[in-house]
Amino acid sequence: MKEYSYVAPASVGECLQILHQTDRAARITAGCTNLLPNLKSNKIPDCVLVDISGLQELKGIQMEGQTIRIGALVTIDQLVHSTEIEQGAAALWQACQRFADPLVRNRATIGGNLANASPAADSVTPLLAMKASVTVESVADGKREIPIESFFVAPGKSVLRCDELITAISFVSEPEMNSCFLKFGLRQAMAISVINVAVALKLTGNRIADIRIALGAVSPVAMRAKQTESFLIGQEISPAVLDKAAELVKSEICPISDLRASKEYRTLMAGVLLRRAIEAVLG
Amino acid sequence: MLNAKQEIAIKVLVNGAELKSTVAAESTLLDFLRQQSGIVDVKCGCNKGDCGTCTVVYEGQTVKSCLVLAASANNKEVWTLKGLEDDPLMKKLQASFVRHGAVQCGFCIPGMLVSSRGCLMRNPQPSRSEIREAISGNLCRCTGYQKIVAAVWAVATETPNEGA
Repeated sequence: MKEYSYVAPASVGECLQILHQTDRAARITAGCTNLLPNLKSNKIPDCVLVDISGLQELKGIQMEGQTIRIGALVTIDQLVHSTEIEQGAAALWQACQRFADPLVRNRATIGGNLANASPAADSVTPLLAMKASVTVESVADGKREIPIESFFVAPGKSVLRCDELITAISFVSEPEMNSCFLKFGLRQAMAISVINVAVALKLTGNRIADIRIALGAVSPVAMRAKQTESFLIGQEISPAVLDKAAELVKSEICPISDLRASKEYRTLMAGVLLRRAIEAVLG
Repeated sequence: MLNAKQEIAIKVLVNGAELKSTVAAESTLLDFLRQQSGIVDVKCGCNKGDCGTCTVVYEGQTVKSCLVLAASANNKEVWTLKGLEDDPLMKKLQASFVRHGAVQCGFCIPGMLVSSRGCLMRNPQPSRSEIREAISGNLCRCTGYQKIVAAVWAVATETPNEGA
């Protein structure tokens, strides 16, 4: 029988103090959509459950100039119903609509999706394509901003220290970039991505002026396909160029075979989804 | 400073009545409802967030009660199917489920009804695909989705639809 205890800090400051004092034995709880299933299947060692679900300071979506700042406790459903996200971050907005199911979206938070550090997390790929940064806070170091590209280190692992709390995710909204998210799952709802792709793209005439490509569930952590991006920047869109990009992206990824799909299938689908995503952005 | 407890005294407003109990740190709202409060119209299926038969209205939102920590439900408001039976929309949904033969084994139905009501509260005139989307977190292993969707659709369009 495992032993857990519970505490609900009244502020971020109090929460950070708790994390500072309890070291490894604390576990943040908010939407609980990952934590409780893991706890029920005995995957969570003894710990203090630090419930931050009541902290209003982490709940808003703010526009600061061109920067969109999403509090860590904003739920996936709130993102689906946010005009700021719909207009300023199309790929993230689309990803949130494909996230789990509506009941889970009412609970799951964006901060939790990052903290869980799954290579298949649906919110991460669009955030990578938008060059988001993760704000984390601690008593020891105050506030630090971590580019999302260097946030994840392995499946289920990030650079987040046990005394740190994710407080926000922010990115610059780029009206000149059009973006899109595509997910391939084994069913429509409650599907963990077999593979997902986000593309942010700026066109000048028929030429790609800028592009960022992110892929999930094809490597130990979600990744940018930078060689494919470099190849595409400056190219005129044509079937031959898209063919080449689809081939190139396959050489950048390193997927595994698991119960959802084989390595070969994921490799094939990376090319297919990239092509579809670029075509979708072009409209 | 650290005042973490293994047992937490909570009071929750369930179906309009204040219920008090002491829960373990790791208990879920579902555990609290079924095991400690005897509210068994909320069913326990998978107990890990997949099946949706434990769906309740929590602080105005339709959620799976196995994914809510009981301790965090302190001072919160919860409605289960039983508490919603006098709600006019729920009455219409229940009648429509009966009329359409939408209930087979019945195990998913408490969750289906609560989700369907949540769908119509938010979007009174959903399309069929929006209804499907709204109940996509509720599994029916009799695979009776067609009639469930028809039953919700009939309430949304207010036309008595006998056949489906």
